[in-house]
Amino acid sequence: MAISENSSLSVSRQREASGSADSFRENAYESSPLPLTPVIKIRAAKRWTPIGLGEIWAHRELLYFLVWRDLKVRYKQTLLGVSWIILQPILMTLVFAVFLGKIARVPSDSVPYVLFLYAGLLPWTFFTNAVATSSHSLIASAEMITKVYFPRALVPLAAVLVRLSDFVVASVVLVVLMLYYGRPFTRAILLAPFLILHLTLLALGLGLLFAALNVKYRDIGTVLPVLLQLWLFASPVIYPASLVPPNWQWVYALNPLTGIIGGFRAAFLDLGFDWRSLLVSFAITIVLLVYASFVFRRMEDEFADVV
Amino acid sequence: MRPIVSVRNLSKTYRIGRLRNTNPTLRDALVGAVNSPLSYLRQRDDEGTTLQALRDVSFAVEPGEVVGIIGRNGAGKSTLLKILARIVKPSAGEVDIYGRVGSLLQVGTGFHPDLTGRENVFLNGALLGMKSQEIKRNFDEIVAFSEIGKFLDTAVKYYSSGMYLRLAFAIAAHLEPEVLLLDEVLAVGDESFQKKCREKIKAVSRDERTVLFVSHNMKAIADLCGRVLLIRSGQLYEGTDPKSTIAEYLDEVAAAEARPCDSGSNAIRSADIARRKSDIARMISNNT
Repeated sequence: MAISENSSLSVSRQREASGSADSFRENAYESSPLPLTPVIKIRAAKRWTPIGLGEIWAHRELLYFLVWRDLKVRYKQTLLGVSWIILQPILMTLVFAVFLGKIARVPSDSVPYVLFLYAGLLPWTFFTNAVATSSHSLIASAEMITKVYFPRALVPLAAVLVRLSDFVVASVVLVVLMLYYGRPFTRAILLAPFLILHLTLLALGLGLLFAALNVKYRDIGTVLPVLLQLWLFASPVIYPASLVPPNWQWVYALNPLTGIIGGFRAAFLDLGFDWRSLLVSFAITIVLLVYASFVFRRMEDEFADVV
Repeated sequence: MRPIVSVRNLSKTYRIGRLRNTNPTLRDALVGAVNSPLSYLRQRDDEGTTLQALRDVSFAVEPGEVVGIIGRNGAGKSTLLKILARIVKPSAGEVDIYGRVGSLLQVGTGFHPDLTGRENVFLNGALLGMKSQEIKRNFDEIVAFSEIGKFLDTAVKYYSSGMYLRLAFAIAAHLEPEVLLLDEVLAVGDESFQKKCREKIKAVSRDERTVLFVSHNMKAIADLCGRVLLIRSGQLYEGTDPKSTIAEYLDEVAAAEARPCDSGSNAIRSADIARRKSDIARMISNNT
């Protein structure tokens, strides 16, 4: 179905603030002549079209309110509120620091292991939470989807943005750790925002794909946590990429997180970038995002029927 | 006059599948694809597995009309509104709408129980397609209309169901689209609040705005609508005037009610129905 919002429609409606609140506005609605082309065209479902970015832009205020709602509700529902955002990566860092740093003595590219871990767990926590919540988001919003029209992609997008804001808050701890261990901030850190954007796009791609599939196949919700757990161990989060044997490095680089998380850590700790794996990762991310947006658009037509 | 809503040959088919397949999982889909790769294609033509919610529906609505849509449960009224509201895609046919559409298919959609009344006004308003400027401008009026007063900054989970519904309707009542779609939302609140809602709809139509609404409340339909469409198992019927369409519908309901009863109570039933019909006929003639 092709839906086109015709922005050329301009209806001038000057409304006076009515004096008594209970009285209905009796002032005449300034009816302008009907536009020549339809503002909304509804057609039967088409097969392959990408997500309408214009529609998403037109609904940006709703996106803002969806993010705002989730943040507000979390703050109200939990005792520790915002502190959970920081506690999650800190607790994971402590656990891994004890078991891998002290007992298994995993190498960490001559960086203090706690700092090394946190620099990896910070982007990982964002990624895994973003993928998990966005994948579940459409099912959780079933009521909205069956009763109101808006571009459905806003729902997983909002979920990713909420997690992105968590990430920004939790980043403060990384800065504190850097100061504590006396690591200098180098020029390499300028690349960090791009890596975060890259990671966000990857999470969004997977989020869109899984969210759409999850509506029809609820198995995704069960399988996903296991997959994400495995992915943690297949990425350079709790150990350095240098631990992987040289002749397996090219396979390792096919994991898009290898380039991003390795790169994020390198940006903060000035460890030198692995450009090849970053490039591979970027290519995979873009292909995935485009594919996901087509799949999402195609399945979007059925959400209200199926969910 | 050119129509503001033009519906041409609209059909909607739901694939309901075979009964054992109503909730397919990935495993079922994979197993099914392996076992019988062609069954998926065949199933589409299978009459028994589909449900035709709308059949070749065409009509046009002119600006400022208030159109009532009536019909029995499952006739396709809500499906029609959902297509016009862009929630559901049609299987065939076209709709052109020459204006913004606001829809209220359920009162209080997207209300979050932990947010306050004030917060929910903004969230729900945005969800219904209002710009935040528009919400701010109408905020005081919405609050006054809802009559929730000092509970504005209380989480809505502590609201009584009446307060909750009043606030939700108040937000929707201040939507300012050219075309407004309403599904059975008049059954909200007590008698005085319902009256207020009907007044609001009348005010909206005086503003030259177009309203399409579904209701089972024939009194409200007769009272508000200049035009009535009847949907019978997916097909559209329109009598010469609202009164005759409503009468047609009531006959239908009466016939359906009489059918399953045994012959003994039939006489009582039909007498009962006849009395109710004359009540409604009198009521309609009073209103017009």
